[in-house]
Amino acid sequence: MNIIETKNLTKSYGNFTAVSGVNLHIPRGTVYGFLGPNGAGKSTTMKMFLGLTKPTEGTFSIDNKRYPEDRVEILKEVGSFIEAPAFYGNLSGEENLEIIRKILGLPKASVKEALELVGLTEHRKRLAKKYSLGMKQRLGLASALIGRPPILILDEPTNGLDPVGIHEIRTLIRSLPQKFNCTVFVSSHLLSEIELMADNIGILNHGHLIFEGTLPMLKRNASLQGFPTENLEETFLAMIDEDNRQRSGKR
Amino acid sequence: MSIALEWKKTKRTGFFLTFVAGGLLAGAVPILNMMVREKCYVGRKEPAVDIILNANWQLMAMLTILLLLVGACMLYHTEYADNAIQRMRTMPKRECGLFYSKCGLLLFMSIFLVFLQALAIYFCMVHWFAYTAEQISVLIYNFSYTFILLLPSVFGFLLIASVCNNMWIPLGIGVVCIFTATMLPTNNRWLSLFPFALPFQTYVGKDWNTIRMDLLAAVVESMLACIAEGIILKGRRALA
Repeated sequence: MNIIETKNLTKSYGNFTAVSGVNLHIPRGTVYGFLGPNGAGKSTTMKMFLGLTKPTEGTFSIDNKRYPEDRVEILKEVGSFIEAPAFYGNLSGEENLEIIRKILGLPKASVKEALELVGLTEHRKRLAKKYSLGMKQRLGLASALIGRPPILILDEPTNGLDPVGIHEIRTLIRSLPQKFNCTVFVSSHLLSEIELMADNIGILNHGHLIFEGTLPMLKRNASLQGFPTENLEETFLAMIDEDNRQRSGKR
Repeated sequence: MSIALEWKKTKRTGFFLTFVAGGLLAGAVPILNMMVREKCYVGRKEPAVDIILNANWQLMAMLTILLLLVGACMLYHTEYADNAIQRMRTMPKRECGLFYSKCGLLLFMSIFLVFLQALAIYFCMVHWFAYTAEQISVLIYNFSYTFILLLPSVFGFLLIASVCNNMWIPLGIGVVCIFTATMLPTNNRWLSLFPFALPFQTYVGKDWNTIRMDLLAAVVESMLACIAEGIILKGRRALA
């Protein structure tokens, strides 16, 4: 059963269409990797799910709740991290999470749990503006994870992390559906990263969804179309290249 | 979102310190003026509260309104500086709640400022003048009236601050608005209702109709600012 579904989701800015008629199907309790080069429309799609921007056309539902009627109800179920960490620089990591906890009406222990999950317990008293980029990224993740929301929307969560940090966060994301019984919708522009944590993949290019399915399905599809399949990074690049070629041909 | 939560967000920003220092400075104006120019005021026939307010209120009001502008800019700067506002927008709350909570906090700080100023005037009345109980009630009425006339400034400055990511823009716009208010002719009834000009008025020496009109204008202007904020939030989401 799909927890997130979109129907012909479109977002245009004047003549430019950032997301064009996207139909996503995100199964409950899985990690869904949302792939695409920079500027493909991944963040715009995620922003629409969070009500940060209004779709120009199309609809979406999250856990059977529809936007815009159930916007607040949708946000109650979603933990999010979009583009860059968002925090109060004048407050410590712990105080930042305390603000979120109070707004969400969560128990006090949830702050400690979120800090432990992302490995920030040791630095919880330090001011957020003095955190390194990696620590800010972890704080952003903690603020998304606090209260164990049933749906997580994470936009390039490993940006700015060192290889050890990337591995830790990747392992954490991979474990979330089993640990907390949640669904994770995570974006990246690196297939190598997504293939290590996602059950399902959606590939977006120039606002169009060019593939949706599991990794074996992607390989099968690529093989049928004559793309290289030994290395998934190459498969991804070949698909994007072909899509770009077709689009420039159409123009 | 609540006022207490907004208060927590201002931790280490110097918000409270700014209001304490500014409030004390505004309160010091009548005391210093009386100390230096005692002979000009003592012995006059008018009531003490009229003399003190007529001599000092313009400068006190200017300091108060500047403090409210700085406070409004600081409140939204903490949201915009490290993009915390984006996280707030993805919270399961109505976004205008953030605006109203900030209004609540700034209104609380306005009460604090008005209280400090009332105390300063009271001190001058006690120390330099023979005052009556009736004048104390005039003083209370005056500062209640002042507080209501500050409402459009509170809502207006927060509206301006909520629109701009860069704190210097609302600060600049606010300063222009304040200086425009000081240049408007006070004898023109309609121009004196300019939102940022209202706090320069005093209760003393005014007829009931004028007072009623000022209060009504303050409430209507505040409501208009709230409606404008709602429209801006909707428009911003549509255009984002």
